[in-house]
Amino acid sequence: MLPTILAATNGDEFQLLPDESELIWGLVAFLLLLAAMYKLVFPKANQALEDRAAVIEGKMEEAEAKLNEAETTKADFEARIADARGEANRIIDEAKSTAESLRADIIARAEEEARGIVERAQSEISAERDRALQDLRTEVGALSVELASKIVERELDASTHQGLVDDYIQRLSRTN
Amino acid sequence: MEGTLNVLGYGLATLGPGIGLGILIGKAVESMARQPEAAGMVRTTMFIGIAVVEALALLAFVLAFAL
Amino acid sequence: MTRVIAAAEWGGEFDGALDPIIDLFRFPPLWEIELLGVDLSINRTILIAWVMTLLAGLLMFMAFRQPKIVPGKLQAFGETIVDFVRQIILDIIGPKGLKFLPLLTTMFIFIFFMNVAKITPFMMMPPTSRMAWPLFLALISWLVYVGVGMKEQGAFTYFKDMVVIPGVPKAILPFLGLIELVSNLILRPFTLAVRLFANMVAGHILVVITLVTIHVFLPSPTGFPVGIFGLIASPVVFAFELFIIGLQAYIFVMLTAVYIDSSMEPAH
Repeated sequence: MLPTILAATNGDEFQLLPDESELIWGLVAFLLLLAAMYKLVFPKANQALEDRAAVIEGKMEEAEAKLNEAETTKADFEARIADARGEANRIIDEAKSTAESLRADIIARAEEEARGIVERAQSEISAERDRALQDLRTEVGALSVELASKIVERELDASTHQGLVDDYIQRLSRTN
Repeated sequence: MEGTLNVLGYGLATLGPGIGLGILIGKAVESMARQPEAAGMVRTTMFIGIAVVEALALLAFVLAFAL
Repeated sequence: MTRVIAAAEWGGEFDGALDPIIDLFRFPPLWEIELLGVDLSINRTILIAWVMTLLAGLLMFMAFRQPKIVPGKLQAFGETIVDFVRQIILDIIGPKGLKFLPLLTTMFIFIFFMNVAKITPFMMMPPTSRMAWPLFLALISWLVYVGVGMKEQGAFTYFKDMVVIPGVPKAILPFLGLIELVSNLILRPFTLAVRLFANMVAGHILVVITLVTIHVFLPSPTGFPVGIFGLIASPVVFAFELFIIGLQAYIFVMLTAVYIDSSMEPAH
């Protein structure tokens, strides 16, 4: 098979065996390109990749730090908000309890006052009544004496019968 | 009419690899469609198979000119 | 170079029948150089390849000249290429294969630029459609994966595991071992080279025929519909060729990675 291929290349046939000069020059061109790629291109390409990786890593770390910071700030704010809410609740409670005690106080005072007023009024009323009764009694006594003396003029003198009338009225008021 | 029988021989020799490639690639596409996550592996294996099958056609191509 | 093809590629007059297609791939040396009995003549293919290599190297150099954290357009482009190859390596070999990244990236852009010469104006000829170019690329790939195998597993174990496959019945071992040996050491680089070569040959013929069709039929009073068809078809053909160009570079690099991977791991 090999001799036939070799023979074929010499004649007018299709050229399957490589041309010597092309083989050598092609190899030279390829190796030059390979060397250029190794020396000039790939160090820079790798450098670029590493740089980019470093930059991206730095950015990611930065972002993480920012995120952490934000987290702590948020937690801080939340704690503060909770604090404020507690404070507000406490203030409201305090106000409520103050108001409650105030109310109770006021009510108590008002009741006491009312009771005082009522008592005073009652005592005044009762005093008034006593005085009125007293007045009435003396009046009635005087009137009865006068009446009696007018009726029984002679027989009865005022001083002895005064005791009688008093007794009567006493009985009257008791039954009253 | 001029020419050599080699060309005819080459034409005949492409039949087998042609059918083989058809079956091979068809099956590969089938399995890729069935398991898309294994597509990379299937593709690589498919190309290796193609390289082996195609070797026959390429041998015929060369021999058509050489013999 | 014959007249039809010259006409197709450079413009000019067309007369006579279509020439043997072989002439598309025959380039007489422009300068005959011989050194110590080695033929070092320079022909058009070599010039094209040099220009494309220079372009590839310049592109990558400019892309990573002043690498920035936030890449510019060119740097992003270069990084896309490197990342593409890195992804191939990670998929096939894994993280320990990253030391082959420069080699495989160079291979990828080299093959890609060689192939792109196929549809580059004023070149219209992929150096990879001459057997020498795919061959030395395959040779480098072969050297690398055999070298890696010998380094990672030890020379003796590497070749022993290749011939004496563990877990195979003794009766069929000689045949299987022979097949494995031939497959690993001869067939792999051979198919690697011929795959690229054959694709580029076919692509080049397709492109040239499309252009010749336009050139021949468009001015003709009776055949101009064919010329118009060729005119419409040529962008499609070029796009298809661009696809093939990328695919072949990808497959070459990927198979090299696969072979390196198979050399790194002890056999099955």
